[in-house]
Amino acid sequence: MSSGDRIRGAFVGLAIGDAAGWPSARHRSALLAPWSRRLERELDGFAEEHRVTTLPVPFTLNQPTGPLATGPSDDAEWLAWTALTIRDDRAEAFGRLAGRTDLRVRISVRAALDNLAAGKRPPASGHDNPHHFDDAAAVRAVAFGAIGADPRADATVTNAGDGVLAAMAMAAAVAELVAGGSMASAVQAALAELPGDTAIGHAARTALAVARAAGDPFSAVPGLDAALVDHVYSYGVAAAQTVPVALALAEVSGGALTAAVPAAACLPSLADSAPALTGALTGAFTGAAALPAPWRSAARTLPGCALPDLAGTDLIDIAEGLT
Amino acid sequence: MRLTRARGCLLGLAAGDALGRPAENLAPEEIARRWGRLTEIEPGQGGTDDTEYTIFAASLLCAHGAAMTSADVARAYREQIIPRIDGPMRGAGFSELGAVQALRRGLEPPLSGMWHQHGWSDGLAMRAAPYGIFAAGDPGEAARLVAVDGAVSNSGEGVYGGQAVAAAVAVAMTGAAPGEVAEAGIAAIPVDSWTARNLRAAVAADSVDELYRAVVVRHYPWTDLAPEAVALAFAGYLMGGGRVEESVVSAANLGRDADTTAAIAGALAGAGHGEAAVPERWVREIGPVTGRCLPAVAGRHVLDVATDLVAATGTTT
Repeated sequence: MSSGDRIRGAFVGLAIGDAAGWPSARHRSALLAPWSRRLERELDGFAEEHRVTTLPVPFTLNQPTGPLATGPSDDAEWLAWTALTIRDDRAEAFGRLAGRTDLRVRISVRAALDNLAAGKRPPASGHDNPHHFDDAAAVRAVAFGAIGADPRADATVTNAGDGVLAAMAMAAAVAELVAGGSMASAVQAALAELPGDTAIGHAARTALAVARAAGDPFSAVPGLDAALVDHVYSYGVAAAQTVPVALALAEVSGGALTAAVPAAACLPSLADSAPALTGALTGAFTGAAALPAPWRSAARTLPGCALPDLAGTDLIDIAEGLT
Repeated sequence: MRLTRARGCLLGLAAGDALGRPAENLAPEEIARRWGRLTEIEPGQGGTDDTEYTIFAASLLCAHGAAMTSADVARAYREQIIPRIDGPMRGAGFSELGAVQALRRGLEPPLSGMWHQHGWSDGLAMRAAPYGIFAAGDPGEAARLVAVDGAVSNSGEGVYGGQAVAAAVAVAMTGAAPGEVAEAGIAAIPVDSWTARNLRAAVAADSVDELYRAVVVRHYPWTDLAPEAVALAFAGYLMGGGRVEESVVSAANLGRDADTTAAIAGALAGAGHGEAAVPERWVREIGPVTGRCLPAVAGRHVLDVATDLVAATGTTT
């Protein structure tokens, strides 16, 4: 297997995980008319008011149904954007997005773009940020890991603390896998970036212990939820939760995407990005050719739901641009 | 003087908490639409977590004094807070419940303050005033002590927010001018921090619009960010010229985490001007706390707490 196939595997693996989580359809419904999403929000209110357990799902009344087919969403698009701009100064690359009103971004990125527009430079742009701890940079770090580059300059534009450590860990693990390393050595490379006295470092070691004790990815799901998710906060993209889950499931699966990603998707709070990060690690381990063909074909075309310029782009082509 | 300043500080805090309560999470425009200018405490409603957690912090200081450790604080959570959470936890911020969950997992400080995602919460800043009373005139010591408490529930900017408030109260307790009080708060925290950058912007802002542009995070739904809340509190205090009524009203009418920001502004102004400067019509609304947020402190009155705190410092002159 070539390093090029492993890079393609990291990219399409991330996209498969992105597509597998329930939030993907929510993100992809951004391509539908706003009234269509408003109706869905109203149906949420209906379910509450009428005490029915029949919950609304994304739907397309009088709208094209294509966006709601199984497919990738925000994380795959941000990975693609990172690969396409990877040779550019990171603050400049983000600065070009700062005035745009048609993008959909994580809270960390939104706050960073506002900071850049107000004249704040990195690392303050990522530090003076209510979601400095999220995994936006960890997703982008897959591209840096693929070419063996340091993700720090990119990560600090939008994140700080655990958010930056998470990017370092993801890049280290992906770099190790692209170079042909084992999943165990990739996990060790990630842990080397995560000091034990940080939340993410403690959580990563806890998650690995829980998954090893459970013995397989699906069996590990309740234990990971109990050990990592406190259910106190309103958002589930904290890097200190999603990256540890990805490392633990990738390791305990022995690098099998088809076992690890579905397990990650079974953690509802973390389903926006933990499956994508898990897919990146396992895809980089096996290479793209070893991934299931139906998923590979469903996940490779970007919808443009977060970054409209990327609509219709082939993610595998973009990965090949890095090799 | 120390006693009346201490009592004024906690009375001002309780009044700000009660006044700001109905304006919490509102924008200044919405406050103006509902009240014109919010100047009266809703009768019979009292305060919230700000006052009750402040009493809790004061009780820690009375028990342990300057030798207090983060392990002492964690033990107090485990003995006094956690066993009495029966069903919903009322009126606590993200950082307090996050810390409770971390402590229940067996984590110890400082990891308990880092484990959850809300280390930047203003939960420490809201209860920082007692540290400034205890270390009156010594902002460095006030900042050191509040960080000992903060390590249990907060990290990073959340600790800095608490340190800025504690240090500023310590200097306000000397009767210093508002500008000097604000500078003492800024001087207590790292220059290269979000909180310091926001506090500088709050001191420099010439209008509410400019203040909002500089310190309010536009695309975030929660208002309890310490860098934002402490900046709005300091701004309210400075807009009010450090006088109790004007400072508390100014902070409350800035909205966002209005109970906490008005409580902090009230603590600073009350420390500067003493108990008698708190408007009598507000004082009448401040009774013993009910323990609705923290059952362990039910029945305590902030004035008694302030008196105990001064006694605990050993210098009641």
